[in-house]
Amino acid sequence: MANEKKINRAGWFFIIPVASLLVIFLLYPIFYSLYLTTTRTKGIVTNFNGINNYIKLFNDPMFFLALKNTFKILFLQVPIMLTSALLFASLLNNKKIKFRGFFRTAIFLPSVTSLIAYAILFKMLFSYEGIVNNTLLSLKFIQTPLDWFSDPTLATFVLILAMVWRWTGYNMIFYLSAMQNISGDLYEAARVDGASDITSFFNITLPLLKPMILFTTVMSTIGTLQLFDEPMNLAQSGTTSSMVGPNNCFLTLSIYIYNLCFKYTPKFGYAATVSYAILVLVAILSFIQFKISSESEKTVTKKVSKSIK
Amino acid sequence: MKKNKMSIGLIISYIILIVASFFSLFPFFWILIGATNSSVDILRGKLTLGSSFIDNMKILFSEANMGRALYNSMKIASLTVILTLIITSMAAYGFQMYRTKAKEKTYTFFLLTMMVPFASLMIPLFQIISKLKLLNSHSAIILVSSASVFMIFFFRQSFVNYPTEILQAARVDGASELRTFVSIFVPSMKSTYAAAAIYTFMTSWNNYLWPLIVLQTTDKRTTTLLVSSMSSSYTPNYGVIMVAIALSTTPVVIVFFGFQKQFVEGMVGSVKQ
Amino acid sequence: MKKILSVLLMALIVGTSLFAAGEAEATKSPITIWAWDPNFNISIMKDAAAIYQKAHPDVEFNIVEMAKADVEQKLHTNLASGTTDGLPDIVLIEDYNGLKYLNSYPGQFSDLTNKINQNDFLKSKVDVAKIGNKYYSMPFDSGVAGFFYRTDMLAEAGYTAADLNNITWDEFCDIAKEYKAKTGNYFFANSKADGGLLRIMLQSNGSWYFDKDGNPYVKDNKSLAEAMRIYKRFIDEDLAYPTNGWTEWVGSINNSTVPTITTGVWIIGSIKAASNQSGDWAVAPCPKLSASGTNASNLGGSSWYVLKNGKSNADAIDFLNTIYGANNNFYQDILVKNGAMGSYIPAFSGVNYSKADEFFGGQKVYDLLSQYAEAIPAVNVGEYTYEADAAVMANMEAYYNGQSIEETLEAIDAQLVNTIL
Repeated sequence: MANEKKINRAGWFFIIPVASLLVIFLLYPIFYSLYLTTTRTKGIVTNFNGINNYIKLFNDPMFFLALKNTFKILFLQVPIMLTSALLFASLLNNKKIKFRGFFRTAIFLPSVTSLIAYAILFKMLFSYEGIVNNTLLSLKFIQTPLDWFSDPTLATFVLILAMVWRWTGYNMIFYLSAMQNISGDLYEAARVDGASDITSFFNITLPLLKPMILFTTVMSTIGTLQLFDEPMNLAQSGTTSSMVGPNNCFLTLSIYIYNLCFKYTPKFGYAATVSYAILVLVAILSFIQFKISSESEKTVTKKVSKSIK
Repeated sequence: MKKNKMSIGLIISYIILIVASFFSLFPFFWILIGATNSSVDILRGKLTLGSSFIDNMKILFSEANMGRALYNSMKIASLTVILTLIITSMAAYGFQMYRTKAKEKTYTFFLLTMMVPFASLMIPLFQIISKLKLLNSHSAIILVSSASVFMIFFFRQSFVNYPTEILQAARVDGASELRTFVSIFVPSMKSTYAAAAIYTFMTSWNNYLWPLIVLQTTDKRTTTLLVSSMSSSYTPNYGVIMVAIALSTTPVVIVFFGFQKQFVEGMVGSVKQ
Repeated sequence: MKKILSVLLMALIVGTSLFAAGEAEATKSPITIWAWDPNFNISIMKDAAAIYQKAHPDVEFNIVEMAKADVEQKLHTNLASGTTDGLPDIVLIEDYNGLKYLNSYPGQFSDLTNKINQNDFLKSKVDVAKIGNKYYSMPFDSGVAGFFYRTDMLAEAGYTAADLNNITWDEFCDIAKEYKAKTGNYFFANSKADGGLLRIMLQSNGSWYFDKDGNPYVKDNKSLAEAMRIYKRFIDEDLAYPTNGWTEWVGSINNSTVPTITTGVWIIGSIKAASNQSGDWAVAPCPKLSASGTNASNLGGSSWYVLKNGKSNADAIDFLNTIYGANNNFYQDILVKNGAMGSYIPAFSGVNYSKADEFFGGQKVYDLLSQYAEAIPAVNVGEYTYEADAAVMANMEAYYNGQSIEETLEAIDAQLVNTIL
């Protein structure tokens, strides 16, 4: 129908405003950045370099260190945070709990802080003479104050703890909303069959939450792989010191890119190359997560139909 | 026996929730206490109210020009919310209600761009902004932030279950597409827009890296940049920083509490698959 | 409602752009200066500006203070973008970064060769911004290194000034060990991840991570190997009080936790912050690395650079010349007021430089330090000092844990060479 075509064309007019901004401010930089990866650029001095930047990448111990750090943070922080979010959401989904509004607000509140603010906050909390040390000392868990920011393991622990504090509530709200979409009849039927709360959770809630879990996992992965603000502000002396955090434990991929542009001799071409490496990793990880999710869809539908019977 | 089991389960639930709430809220309590103390006391972990609040406020507003920063943050965040909501919801409407293969491909392509780390875009972006003579301007921040693929995604998810018959009926009645959008569609998605407004406001207020790069003078900076620069000096004055954090977090908290109901409603709506 | 909002939005955006445009129109542009540290660089620059304005009342100054990292980042973004609108006239650049900017943005900095008398300044400072036969900087504060110590704490342990004069780093370590055995306290504070002392050691031997031509000089660099060996002594023999970051490091001397600190002259301001320690300090030449080395070295320091495309280029150069390039009284004043030791040699024979300093037990501290300063070996700092520093410190951990020095140097070399590609 010609009319339908006309209508569909009208649809484009709704998209054009944001699309024009995206083309200028997102697409152009993305492609320009891609072009930069083929150049050897030092400041404004540019030479064509082919794939040499990619070869340099594979021989760069600092890149691999940043990679290792970023992944370490990723594989520790995301599961802990999402599991906690899931736990709190399921607890708050229980109508027998009173004061649910208060708990929900309390746990969500950390998400309103700016990334800078909460990083600084945790830096102060864990300072040598700070509250955490004082509390641990008075509870006799330790004899001498812990130097949280001079040991890589302790420092990484603080970073992960801070991130979990900040983001759990945010993800919890997503899970809570999804849970509230699940019909109470399913649980009623399960209870009649003698299923406990825990069994219901694993056989009904979890499978039906899979799309939301996938969404939060992908978003968290993207976010953590691009981690910049928190480690940047937790590290002690910023750009004048040789390392970002003790033993460079806070050197994430994004901070490495920033250093390549502003701390070291500005090699914009190489910095762009490192950033495309992140892009490839994010794409691969997201793809894997989608695959896992759709594979288990088959087993999930079986389980759900089983528990409903 | 069943009754006991439930009680234990409930008790454990309460304990977990109380502990979680305590740890979530403690830092906020500590910010408020810290705002009244001097830098030295804060580093020593003092947990009681001090007397330095007025002094801290004085330094913050006179030397660090917090008033200006608050105004800047407010201005940027408000304008970003308005612009973002308009253009991204329109785009989501376009993608969802006028589905074609071409549009789906475009949409997927946009989604993929979310994976590109910002760090790789900053230099070319800076060049464009300079060429457009928008360096050191708030417009540079507003325009770049409002082109948010995530918001397009968010809106589209919320529009999925909308009964398209209503739109078709309006079309039959002779209303233009834009009219239909503005008068019929938008008013019915109030909670979605509220949730989007909160989310955009929060994100804009807390934006760090791009404003850091594009703003050149101290009179243009936002509260986030102010807090960051105060804490990276050789001898940071933690009392003043705490007040700054408290003051800069307050507007966001107010916005959130004000629209809490709609926020959760809106999130529920966006989750319907 | 929506219409009103969109009109409002447009009005606001248009309004801000107009406002911004309006601000750009001025009759004569002020001299714009970017620097960090309000108590030191900024304060000194403000004084300089005030002096200049007395003779040139029509000249305005716009002194912008930012964190050091922000100055560096904004300089990069502005120069890299090719626009000149946001550029300052004068910018402070740390000496380790000088060549980095000069070589990454050729043609952007003013050639000051014929505008400044290079012979009036310390060679080690002037050479930092030298390319071929051209000089691009107005040298500013010297980072001449001194071995600062507490006479009272060391006397208690039985050490006299003679014991600490012109020693080697090995002797320094021996004394540190003895001191700890005698008193139970550490002799000095250092972070094992901080390369400051390493750089002091290297330069005192006339060496650096790079040779005179700017090529990586790591594998066969005996001075580097020596310096790393000393660092390993610090760790193996537990000689250094571990500190993290500036505040803790300075705190270690302010709280009398340790009796010595070996670093650039700019530490004097922080030393004097502990007013109760007045009269108990003294300075000795910094230790030498090997018998053939010198007891003179440098840590840090910055210089002023002029942007060719700044709006008040000519005025900026004249200003720098008049004050920083010629005004002896200015240097005398900032010495006392800010503890700033310039690199302007004629000032060294000035009144304040030869004063006995009460805080240092009557010692003519600045007189001594200026003598050390004139003996600092000039080295080619090159563009990649921070990369070299990162490569070295990243591999030190393995070296501390037993890896051989040869293997460590190989690893450092490989990383550095790859970084420069």
